[in-house]
Amino acid sequence: MARLAAILRALWRAFQRGEKSFASLAGNNFFLVAVLFLGKAGTFLFLIMGLVILFPLSTDPLRKIPPSRLALWPLEKREMWLLRALSPWVNPMTWVIAALALWAVRGSVTVGLWALAAGLFAAGFAISELPLPSGAAMWRRVPHFPGPLDQLIRKNLREMLSTLDFYCALLLSVSSAIYRILGPALPAESFLAMTGLVVVALSSYAQCLFGLDGAGGRSRYRLLPVRGWWILAAKDAAFLLVVAVLVAPLAPLAGLGAAFVALAMGRRPSVEDPRPQTRWRFSAGASPIYGVIEVMLMASAASSIFLTSELIVLPCMAAWAGSLWWYGRRMEEPE
Amino acid sequence: MISCRNLTRRYGDFTAVDCLNLEVDAGAICVFLGPNGAGKSTTVKMLTGLLAPSSGTVEVCGLDAAAKQLELKRLIGVLPEDLGLFDDLTVEEHLLLTGAVYGLDRQETHRRTSQLLHTLSLEHGRHTFATSCSHGMRKKTSFAMALLPNPRVLFLDEPFEAVDPVTSRIMRDLLQSAARHGVTVFLTSHILSVAEEIATQVVMIRKGKIVWNSPAGELPQSLEAHYFDLVESPVVEELEWLGSPPS
Repeated sequence: MARLAAILRALWRAFQRGEKSFASLAGNNFFLVAVLFLGKAGTFLFLIMGLVILFPLSTDPLRKIPPSRLALWPLEKREMWLLRALSPWVNPMTWVIAALALWAVRGSVTVGLWALAAGLFAAGFAISELPLPSGAAMWRRVPHFPGPLDQLIRKNLREMLSTLDFYCALLLSVSSAIYRILGPALPAESFLAMTGLVVVALSSYAQCLFGLDGAGGRSRYRLLPVRGWWILAAKDAAFLLVVAVLVAPLAPLAGLGAAFVALAMGRRPSVEDPRPQTRWRFSAGASPIYGVIEVMLMASAASSIFLTSELIVLPCMAAWAGSLWWYGRRMEEPE
Repeated sequence: MISCRNLTRRYGDFTAVDCLNLEVDAGAICVFLGPNGAGKSTTVKMLTGLLAPSSGTVEVCGLDAAAKQLELKRLIGVLPEDLGLFDDLTVEEHLLLTGAVYGLDRQETHRRTSQLLHTLSLEHGRHTFATSCSHGMRKKTSFAMALLPNPRVLFLDEPFEAVDPVTSRIMRDLLQSAARHGVTVFLTSHILSVAEEIATQVVMIRKGKIVWNSPAGELPQSLEAHYFDLVESPVVEELEWLGSPPS
């Protein structure tokens, strides 16, 4: 048990230093909007959200230990099982979900509680064991683009496609498109709302565009003999391409306008505080306040374009171009 | 080709590099030696324009490294300390990216890429993503990226560490050949035997200050002996518990 306690203590220390779960949780714009929409929903729904959104958002603590190191430690099978069972509790999010569960069931054992227990079990035992692809390998065949930034744009696409943000947005987009084709006619405004949700799902990623590049990638950017705005433009090209495809069956121009705003707003945290991100997790943006402002501006832009004039996309583009120029210069400055 | 005058870098109260004065001629292979934390990588970062000096000046290829960064980047090849690779690009894609951003035409980029992959025994792993490569493969990829644009100066931070003996020999031969053609090489290393073999100039740094700077031929004794005398000598302490029966 002493061995186990020592490992859990080290995990706790590493997790505290490396992760800011509460900040990560609050820093995802889609979560903020989901909370807003589900304000009147039952607690059970929040618990499901907890398992579906919150847990993947925060990192599985056991992943802090390199697998090769874990395999080398002289741990007995029983200790390894205990470690798997106890390690999720190093993550404060597990305690939040557990507290919510106890509050929800108020003493009685319900199906929801069993679902939660199963979810936590899965989180503890399965997440660390899942052979998740690197993202790059899964998206080896992304298209080529003209110009010298071809490989950079392809890399940026692969990065973006290895976040849960993309799959959340894809789900929203595809389900809306199917409903549009097969379901009863809806007012045009409903597609504006769905477009807004699709871009919101991707907007936290706009605040951490360099989060999956790692230290090596960021140092390479500084060595490339290109202007800073080129590097940012390669990031934006991938982001805008994904947004354009996902909002195409909904309200494309409003979606692109919101995407320009998301990129312009996300520029500062992306460049000045490149928070490392984890693949197959939701992106963690800068801060909840920043997220709220970003979402409000995006919503204003999208609704103005959709309801007032399509020309409003021009100031959105101007804001984006201004941020590209300004932060491109910042990227060229030596440390 | 490389000229530093009173180059200093401070981090708060800590001085990482202290009044460094250095001249490296074109075609030289300058080996920059020192213990961990002596200021080698900080110096390389300042020479490549990535880090602004607290005071002093750096000129590389006649360009002020702090003021003319973009122009300088076009003339140098760098193997950085952290290798500078993207997890989401394959070995080959890294080289194609390098050719494109340094302005080489497509045909020439492919020609040089094929040659480098072959020369550095990277052909079998050309489609492997950097994240799946061994450390040695990653280092060779970064080395190939430094060579591909045919730079006038090469800055290599510990190029020989973690590469196999055959590749190490190939890398040494490539660097010596490049130097004979006028390319200046500035490298750091902890492998003194390799450093001694290829160096034309030896610089040693300790606690941010240069303690030795001379042509390689003017070393008064073997490089290792001189390094131990000037920089730090190994003190071996007996670990009495090592090898004793487990309690």
